Amino acid sequence: MSGQPLLEVRGLDKRFAGRSGRDTALWVIKDLSFSVPDGEFLTIIGPSGSGKTTLLNMIAQIDVANGGEVRFQSKSAPINDPKSLNPGLNCQIGYVTQEDNLLPWRTTLQNVLFPLEVQGRLDAEGRARADMLMRTVGLAGFEGHYPHELSGGMRKRASLIRTLVYDPPVILMDEPFGALDAQTRAQLQEDLLRLWNLGRKTIVFVTHDITEAIALGDRTLVLSRAPAKIVGDHPITIPRPRDIRGIMTHPDFAALYQRIREQVQ
Amino acid sequence: MTSLGESRKSGAAELGVGRVVAWLKAHSHQILVFVILIAGWQALTLWRGVYWFSSPWGVLTRFINGILGGELLSHASYTASEAVIGFVIGAIPATILPFLLRRWPMATAILDPVMVGGYGAPKLALAPLFILWFGIGIESKVALVAITVFFIVYFSALSGVRALEPKLVQMAQVAGANERDVARYIVFPGAVPYIFTGFRIAMPYSIGGAVIAELLSANRGLGYLIQFSATNFDTTGIFTALFMTTLIVALGNWSVNIVERRLLRWRPPPDVRMQTGT
Ligand SMILES: Nc1ncnc2c1ncn2[C@@H]1O[C@H](COP(=O)(O)OP(=O)(O)OP(=O)(O)O)[C@@H](O)[C@H]1O
Ligand SMILES: [Mg+2]
Repeated sequence: MSGQPLLEVRGLDKRFAGRSGRDTALWVIKDLSFSVPDGEFLTIIGPSGSGKTTLLNMIAQIDVANGGEVRFQSKSAPINDPKSLNPGLNCQIGYVTQEDNLLPWRTTLQNVLFPLEVQGRLDAEGRARADMLMRTVGLAGFEGHYPHELSGGMRKRASLIRTLVYDPPVILMDEPFGALDAQTRAQLQEDLLRLWNLGRKTIVFVTHDITEAIALGDRTLVLSRAPAKIVGDHPITIPRPRDIRGIMTHPDFAALYQRIREQVQ
Repeated sequence: MTSLGESRKSGAAELGVGRVVAWLKAHSHQILVFVILIAGWQALTLWRGVYWFSSPWGVLTRFINGILGGELLSHASYTASEAVIGFVIGAIPATILPFLLRRWPMATAILDPVMVGGYGAPKLALAPLFILWFGIGIESKVALVAITVFFIVYFSALSGVRALEPKLVQMAQVAGANERDVARYIVFPGAVPYIFTGFRIAMPYSIGGAVIAELLSANRGLGYLIQFSATNFDTTGIFTALFMTTLIVALGNWSVNIVERRLLRWRPPPDVRMQTGT
């Protein structure tokens, strides 16, 4: 975790035009800067409507910025002009969106294999990996089901492994475990940490949940209400491997939780 | 062996009877409506006479004789081929065009008034023109069917292309899909239900168009049969041809449904959609 950051956000500005041409443009993000070293698991926490999804959309290059820049591997990504956007930066930035965005006309397995298919990497190894991931997140036996035949939580899991399957160096995750029950959630958090431990990808993980932010992250950023600014930057000192379910009993937890909670409004 | 075969046969027969009973139960309301219609027709016949309204029995006998004699079938298959050929010629470009135009919103906008005009214009009024251009053979009927089908399917396919969910496209692009992948894996499958709605609406028009073009001038087909019967004051002949036309429409509808159900297995079944209000 030294040297050049892999991902850098510098002075990012974003606003959405006001309704019906009126000039009451709303700044969602103003002068936001942070950087993510290679291999870091960064968690970002902020209140609803603070611009977390908007931020990830810009990093993934599916939305334009009104100022500032996003740098990846020390190169500036062109995100100020809609025409030059390069979504996913040639498959190097994966994005697990807040909504599952599964293709309704594809079965669960076909959805999971979709990235490999369009990247021309659908081989035996890729299929085996998809198979392993399906089993890991408890979707074995649902390969042939269409999205409308899955529960909300299952769809969420399918969309998560659809990104993991092609193993991009950076993965953005927008509240991937938001809609799950506590049990499944803890299970998936453990699975995610285990998978992350194998490859040590760079992860930017957005959540509402302070406990989750602490349990998963190497570092937690706290965003303010719109226009979003960073109001807290907390290294998570709890050593790995972590006991997700018992994280609250760790001696450092209470103090961290308290400090973050004071900043989240 | 034989006993096994027999028991299987009787089992199949039972299954068949069971099925028929189940079908009758499930469709009892439709059957009731059908019976009321026939009874009403019979009443009209008794009241006003066979000369004006023919009779259900007369039409049925004529129909069966026409089928057995092959004459009715040959007229029907002539009309059906006009409809099918015209449908294919009209539906294929109408399905493809919106996908080609997707990349050029300007072209779609420029074409729009033409398309709206073409959609709204009474195509049947073109029939005399087509007969002038293409003669009284099959070509003029096919042309009329094709142009009718084209506009209906074009607007259905267009609304399918427009209903595209941008978030799905963004997801696909992030995952590495290029423009062609997006068209093939996202835009097209998403538009298929709309295209089929177009097919379903256009199907009766294709048969109706063929029949009406034949009414104007032809020497074969169900429209010709209607015209011919009318000049001979043969109401039974007219009703028989109409009945045959309805049968073809029903058959066409059924085929569209079969293909649609195959292709759209990924959709929640319609009753569920109704319950959830989507
Ligand atoms: N396309 C848009 N047009 C106009 N305003 C938008 C648009 N997208 C988001 N916003 C606004 O930007 C703000 C931030 O939205 P965003 O979705 O980024 O919030 P969030 O932090 O992800 O919230 P949540 O935790 O609820 O998902 C909100 O006030 C929202 O109304
Ligand atoms: Mg969000």
